[in-house]
Amino acid sequence: MNKTYYVCKYTPVELLAAFGGECEILNEMPEGFERADQIAHPNLCGFGKSVLEAVLAGHVKELILVNCCDTIRSVYDLLEDSGQMDFLYMLDVLHSDGSCSRERVASQLKDLAEAYGAYRGREFDLDLFRKAFQPRERTREPHLAVLGARMGEELFEMTKKAMPLPVVNESCVNNRSVGREEPPAGVDFDALMEWYAGEILGQLPCMRMLDNTGRKQLYQDPSLKGIIYHTVKFCDFYSFEYSEIKERADVPLLKIESDYTVQSSGQLLTRLEAFAESLSMDSDGRKEPTMGKGYYAGIDSGSTSTDVVILNKDRVIVAGVIMPTGAGAALGAERALEEALKEVGLAREDIDTVVTTGYGRTAISVGDKSITEITCHARGAHFLDPEVRTVVDIGGQDSKVIRLNEDGTVKNFVMNDKCAAGTGRFLEMMARTMEMSLDEMSKIGLSYKEDITISSMCTVFAESEVVSLIAQNKAPDDIVHGLNKAVAAKTASLVKRVGGEEKYMMTGGVAQNQGLVKTLEERLGTKLVISDKSQLCGALGAALFAADMAEE
Amino acid sequence: MKGVETFGHYVEKWSESSPAKARRLLKTGWEAQDLKFRFLPEKELNPSDRYLARIMMDAMLYPLKDPEHSAVVSIFTPCEMLQEAGLHPYNVEGFSCYLSASGAERAFLQASEDSGLSETLCSYHKTFIGAAQTGLLPKPKCIIYTNLACDANLLTFRRLAEYYGVPSFAIDVPVKQSEENVAYVAEQLRDMKTFLEKAMGKTIEEDALKERLKRSRRTQELFEQFQSGRADRYIPADLVSPLYSGMTNNLLLGTEQEEKFVEMLLEDLKSAPPSKGKRIYWMHTIPFWSQAVKDALVFNENAQIVGCELSQTVDLTKHSEDPFEEMAMRLVYHCLNGGIARRIEAGIRHARQAGADGVVWFNHWGCKHTLGGSQLAKKKFEEQGIPLLILDGDGCDRSHGGEGQTATRLGAFLEMLGENDHE
Repeated sequence: MNKTYYVCKYTPVELLAAFGGECEILNEMPEGFERADQIAHPNLCGFGKSVLEAVLAGHVKELILVNCCDTIRSVYDLLEDSGQMDFLYMLDVLHSDGSCSRERVASQLKDLAEAYGAYRGREFDLDLFRKAFQPRERTREPHLAVLGARMGEELFEMTKKAMPLPVVNESCVNNRSVGREEPPAGVDFDALMEWYAGEILGQLPCMRMLDNTGRKQLYQDPSLKGIIYHTVKFCDFYSFEYSEIKERADVPLLKIESDYTVQSSGQLLTRLEAFAESLSMDSDGRKEPTMGKGYYAGIDSGSTSTDVVILNKDRVIVAGVIMPTGAGAALGAERALEEALKEVGLAREDIDTVVTTGYGRTAISVGDKSITEITCHARGAHFLDPEVRTVVDIGGQDSKVIRLNEDGTVKNFVMNDKCAAGTGRFLEMMARTMEMSLDEMSKIGLSYKEDITISSMCTVFAESEVVSLIAQNKAPDDIVHGLNKAVAAKTASLVKRVGGEEKYMMTGGVAQNQGLVKTLEERLGTKLVISDKSQLCGALGAALFAADMAEE
Repeated sequence: MKGVETFGHYVEKWSESSPAKARRLLKTGWEAQDLKFRFLPEKELNPSDRYLARIMMDAMLYPLKDPEHSAVVSIFTPCEMLQEAGLHPYNVEGFSCYLSASGAERAFLQASEDSGLSETLCSYHKTFIGAAQTGLLPKPKCIIYTNLACDANLLTFRRLAEYYGVPSFAIDVPVKQSEENVAYVAEQLRDMKTFLEKAMGKTIEEDALKERLKRSRRTQELFEQFQSGRADRYIPADLVSPLYSGMTNNLLLGTEQEEKFVEMLLEDLKSAPPSKGKRIYWMHTIPFWSQAVKDALVFNENAQIVGCELSQTVDLTKHSEDPFEEMAMRLVYHCLNGGIARRIEAGIRHARQAGADGVVWFNHWGCKHTLGGSQLAKKKFEEQGIPLLILDGDGCDRSHGGEGQTATRLGAFLEMLGENDHE
């Protein structure tokens, strides 16, 4: 017999065990959704697609689903039609735990017992049922918790590794709490199922339940030191809770979203590491600092450009270069560092410590330590203007908004989704469509006449909108202004989500785009501080951390 | 169109700084539209559809004029008890559609996303939540909703109840079709009666409710007659009329107005010319704002919509004399409840009934049940010899458009059906 997989905490796992079933949570993150996309729509939530993928790949033959949400209902419909399962069952768990609901659920448990017993050719074994009830220990030690939508195994492992404190998975199916009570003795099967239905429905409620006020205990635990709030793309349930928790929780909170594939981990790792850095700045470097000439370098390896800043022992910028990253992060970093050294007439040995940051930071071998661009941008911005409390950074493939504490450490931050909308790449693609350089584009939107709105935020659709505006002979100024408005709206939304406060600084290459800066200022109703070193901000922060390392 | 854009722009703009002023403008704009429907109706529409536009506009205006006698409801909430209690439906999907039609949806969608709600949430829900939270939409007397066909209701209506601080009532509809589940829902509907009586300080007379339910049933039976009767007739159609009837057939079911509308449909049928062009049955909501869809299907003798799933959701083979059981049966045996196979079978039945040549399955962005079942639907409809086009888009949010793609997909589908064969 195969394992019986389940996905939801309302699954009567103990009942299945009573028929000799070996149950396991289905939580695989696939490489991609090639098989699932053949039978389902791409805009189904990634977890739903991962269930389809696991079945279609032949990993799962027995599956018990619950009518958790519209996606899981669809997954059941598709699997039922596929005819690829040995045993497939969907429980219709009601949305409240009143007495009528318990009665209806008890009746369903009996139906499931009959179907599963017949499938396995076994009778209900009371001893096995009783043994299956195992209370779950809750930690009282300081810890972090993953809350929200279910998190794939691989991502959870990555999260645990990145965090400075133990991490408990309290998301979705992982906070199942059946087992606190033992089954009553000396009652018949019907009475036992009624009691069991009460236990199942009486758990800490999930977001699908009508009354879910009990969920507050998840974030009101005194030993909880921080929350990693996870949502799954195209699953909307938990965004409602996130929206509430972000206003109410008094511990640090990081929101991450995954599409349930292993590939999405790169961008998420940056966020996780930045959050870990904001919880406790890890001060031990990889290398013992050597007594050198008192120069420190920061390298910011971005998707478009690699920037290097060199500071002297008085923390004065002696060199700053910006070079295209080219084909590889490591090579680009080497070249940019050489260029910076040349600019100021130093040799590699003159640099005491090097800190790397940016997308390619871990691929660079020349560094002594790597720190995320979020922490570095905050540090750099604080150095350039200590009054800055919010940094807006629109980079090549990421947009981020960072809230700063008074000392320049990170208070909170948000980043865009995986999609290119609202990033530098979006503007780059649009500039190409309009056959102009980014430089031209940055000035041209300033003198618009007609207030055009580009309604599509999807880069591909927006491009076709731009093409049709060109075909309508709309003035380039007006179109570019429309594009600037689209990016500004997206950025302003990030600012609102993170609770942006004065003074604002804009960093990254896009800060040189005058048209966009003006539109964003209008949208936010404030001025943006733009330093002449805005593009070097990440590298500057990294160099400051390098200096700290050497002085410790 | 320019007028609508300007009006919508000011509703959006003022809703940020002065929501009361924005609300007054919205009400004035919609009243002007109501007057237009009365005195300058769309000439190409039949009298029944002109009347429909008016009763729908009235239904939208009531909550703005008298929110104290309005209850926020989801589209499939049974409304007969509300009518008996003296409450008007204040419908989330309807309001979002009308805000979008007024060109004012963008700011409210954005406001919802800014508060942390996901971009992939249904735009009807996001628009309404955004408009409520910016203060544009007035506080209702109470909130009544069901999880039927849409699990996002569980979240949206709970949030609205918290935001407005008004009592709410949820009808939990199980997925499976059984007599026990009818009894479970009927029990809740009896509790809903008590809830409404308490909210309004008024007794709901069961005899009057029974009469109302009888009217609902008569109305639905007549509508079925109309759908069968139109199979060989040409009825001029735009995009909003089939959508309006999808709304009124749920929200106004049990009212004299809805019964009158359906009687008028049958009256218009008598003088309708023989069928012309290709006939499309539409599954799920209709993106009435899309120029590409308008170009293909509005007042077009070569191709037109002959029915919309949302106006035919009831299994009329189920019937009870008890009003609570009758309403409970409507919910449990609802065509959109249960596995997707039930919805597909109903779609096939209704498409055949209306003499459709093809079906559009509209994948409204954010509607997971519709998206999830779309490929299965294509397979099942085509096994039955009915061509089906899966069209991705959004009923409310223009930014999920992709007009070029819509025009190509829909155009190619109509060509495939042989749209111009008769020319």
